[in-house]
Amino acid sequence: MMILNDEQRMLRDTIADFLAKESPVDALRALRDQEPELAWEPSLWSGLCELGAPAVASSEAEGGLGFGQVGMGALILETGRTLCASPLLSSAIHAQAVIRHCGSPAQIERRLPGLLSGDTVASVAIQEGSQFRPAPRGTRRNGNTLSGDKSLVMDAGAADYLLVSALDEAAQFCIAVVHLNTPGLTIQSQRLMDGRQYGSVSLEIVEVEEWLEGEAVEQGFTRALDEATIMLCCEMLGASRELLDRTVAYLQEREQFDVKVGTFQALQHRLATAYCELELAAASVFNALLAMDKGETVLSEHASRAKALVGDILQHLSNEAVQMHGGMGVTDEMDIGLFLKRSRTCNQLFGNSAFHRNRFATLRGF
Amino acid sequence: MSDMDSFRLETRAWLEAHCPVSQRQPIVREEQIWAGSRSTFPSEDARQWFEAMRDRGWTAPTWPTELGGGGLSSEEARILEQEMARLQCRPPLYDMGLWMLGPALLTYGTPGQKALHIPRIVRGEVRWAQGYSDPGAGSDLASLSTRAIDQGDHFVVSGTKIWTTRADVADWIFCLVRTDPDASKREGISFLLIDMASEGVSTRPIPLISGESEFCQTFFDEVQVPRDNLVGELNGGWEVAKELLKHERKLMATMEVITEKVDVGLVDLAKSRLELSDAGEIADGDLRSRIATHLMHADALHHLNETIYRGMKAGQLDPALPLTLKYIGTTEQQRKDELMLEILGTDGLAMTGTDSVEQERMVRNWAYNKAHTIAGGTSEIQLNIIARRGLGLPE
Ligand SMILES: Cc1cc2nc3c(=O)[nH]c(=O)nc-3n(C[C@H](O)[C@H](O)[C@H](O)COP(=O)(O)OP(=O)(O)OC[C@H]3O[C@@H](n4cnc5c(N)ncnc54)[C@H](O)[C@@H]3O)c2cc1C
Repeated sequence: MMILNDEQRMLRDTIADFLAKESPVDALRALRDQEPELAWEPSLWSGLCELGAPAVASSEAEGGLGFGQVGMGALILETGRTLCASPLLSSAIHAQAVIRHCGSPAQIERRLPGLLSGDTVASVAIQEGSQFRPAPRGTRRNGNTLSGDKSLVMDAGAADYLLVSALDEAAQFCIAVVHLNTPGLTIQSQRLMDGRQYGSVSLEIVEVEEWLEGEAVEQGFTRALDEATIMLCCEMLGASRELLDRTVAYLQEREQFDVKVGTFQALQHRLATAYCELELAAASVFNALLAMDKGETVLSEHASRAKALVGDILQHLSNEAVQMHGGMGVTDEMDIGLFLKRSRTCNQLFGNSAFHRNRFATLRGF
Repeated sequence: MSDMDSFRLETRAWLEAHCPVSQRQPIVREEQIWAGSRSTFPSEDARQWFEAMRDRGWTAPTWPTELGGGGLSSEEARILEQEMARLQCRPPLYDMGLWMLGPALLTYGTPGQKALHIPRIVRGEVRWAQGYSDPGAGSDLASLSTRAIDQGDHFVVSGTKIWTTRADVADWIFCLVRTDPDASKREGISFLLIDMASEGVSTRPIPLISGESEFCQTFFDEVQVPRDNLVGELNGGWEVAKELLKHERKLMATMEVITEKVDVGLVDLAKSRLELSDAGEIADGDLRSRIATHLMHADALHHLNETIYRGMKAGQLDPALPLTLKYIGTTEQQRKDELMLEILGTDGLAMTGTDSVEQERMVRNWAYNKAHTIAGGTSEIQLNIIARRGLGLPE
């Protein structure tokens, strides 16, 4: 659980009410089955923007609402409970953080307001190939152009611009700002199993609008990625909690052998241990949010611990939830399957548990 | 500066002045300072440290000053705890009276019982033992059969208690006894304080897998116990027993209090014993990954304790959350012990006769800590409680 102050609690309740009305799990079903394909429902996104959702974490000095990262985390957790599909993670969190930590003052001034209001949507392109590795390898700068291939770019086809990590001619890290309809840029949009849209991005000598560059950029990019990872963990916590609650509710109702199946100790103990692991993971995520609000800038250990722990428990709980719903659990009619599929994409995004355990061990020096 | 900040600074200065350097190292079992008439101090420094803490009432920081305690608020007590951790101060006193009986007595004891027993606990003058389990009543504690017959101004107690930790050196024991054999299981139990020096009390140590014999079977042969020693109502002992168990489980979740903190960390041990890659990483990827998982869990347990504390302070605590701590803490401790043993390889098979005290200690702890998922309510019982009371699954 997260411990919130009064303002943060009000924010969470407001968002929960909004999502219950505007973005219940059925909204994801509708989006999934829609033609032509949308990355998100425009009315939902404008509703979220009216509430100020993209600016929740940002300080008042920056033009934001000043609820802090704990406030944003609480909001994102709620979106995990209803599987809300929106560019909050890709744009409002990740792209914002990249601009904030890697941009020059002028770039920040120019680009941040649009991302804070939600009028502009940007997405960050990191991954190359099917395994997550944060360092760019094949994406190269040449003069003012960029070439390479990026995969699993959230909401890519619907964004205004992309922030693409690359190596320059001297193999130094840099970030390119690429507008969507620039010649040479092709995006193949694909709905993945979680019903959301991801792009495979191919860049062939694409003219770059501007670069985020300089010594601090690589570190800033890592920080932004860690922040986004921690926020993704909040979404995953919400999904885990929802899976647990739904499964407990089912076991309280379903009867076999003339008793509620929830009386069977084998099931009770499995859920009890899952609950313990969920709360451990949650405490780690909450601690990471607090660290961000305290102004800690090196977040890698926090992010890796949180992502590994949350990834493991979400994967486990999603499987347990299916199993404990019996035959119902494998029907598309039940929402459980949607959570199961979302859990698998979340686990891959920004690196899976194995990746983060490895990274954590390296950070701890063993 | 806020009151809490100045309290922190004062506490820090006081600890620095009063905690001898030798008492600022991870504790090992031989050097713990136990309460009681038979206990001796492991060193002069230990005595000094204990006496300084005792005289401030900081052996029991939150207990009322008029009963000898420190009178601190929970926030101040937490600061004291943090400052002690910062300097690595050893706990100044070990006793089940301090951990379990005292808190229950403060809630359920008569003024006379508190006045008599609480100050002696704070001062470490009396060592207490816990007489809960009967040979036939472990997890199903309420089925206990040790009898106490009501004789008006006294009870006559007969029967036997088992797994009574260090009853052989205890001065007093708090016991659950059956006072009404006809009532339903939980309704016929009373809570009695018994002087171990009473006629008819005897003990027999039980050897354990760690090579020690900390536990005893304790026998009561028509022991006379004054009525003044009844805590709570006659036949109302179950309520007191449950309150006390809460404190026991809380204690067991914060393993450092009862386990020795082995000074060698898991990572250092692994790096000194295992093959490393050129990059200095543990070459065995499987073991490395399991060590990482354990460290993450250990950090997260710390974060969970923090969350619970914050939640309590903010009045927002999900009551299910504290129920998880004993299960998680004891399970994780065992995971660490297993990793240590694995890292030691075949060296870890020797319990005695090596030239490394430290290594033998690790091995002994591995065996010793097996008890922690059993004592104070087994892991399975904890999971029952989490599932039913925490998650609301049906009985
Ligand atoms: C280190 C240590 C110190 C102790 N100190 C004291 C002390 O000072 N004073 C004292 O009174 N007692 C003490 N005990 C006793 C302790 O409280 C009991 O050992 C404990 O409650 C378990 O009881 P048991 O040993 O009879 O096991 P049992 O109850 O016989 O359990 C056997 C197995 O069955 C399982 N089981 C039992 N019931 C259920 C259920 N409903 N659902 C699922 N599984 C179940 C248990 O989890 C266990 O795995 C101590 C024990 C240890 C190990």
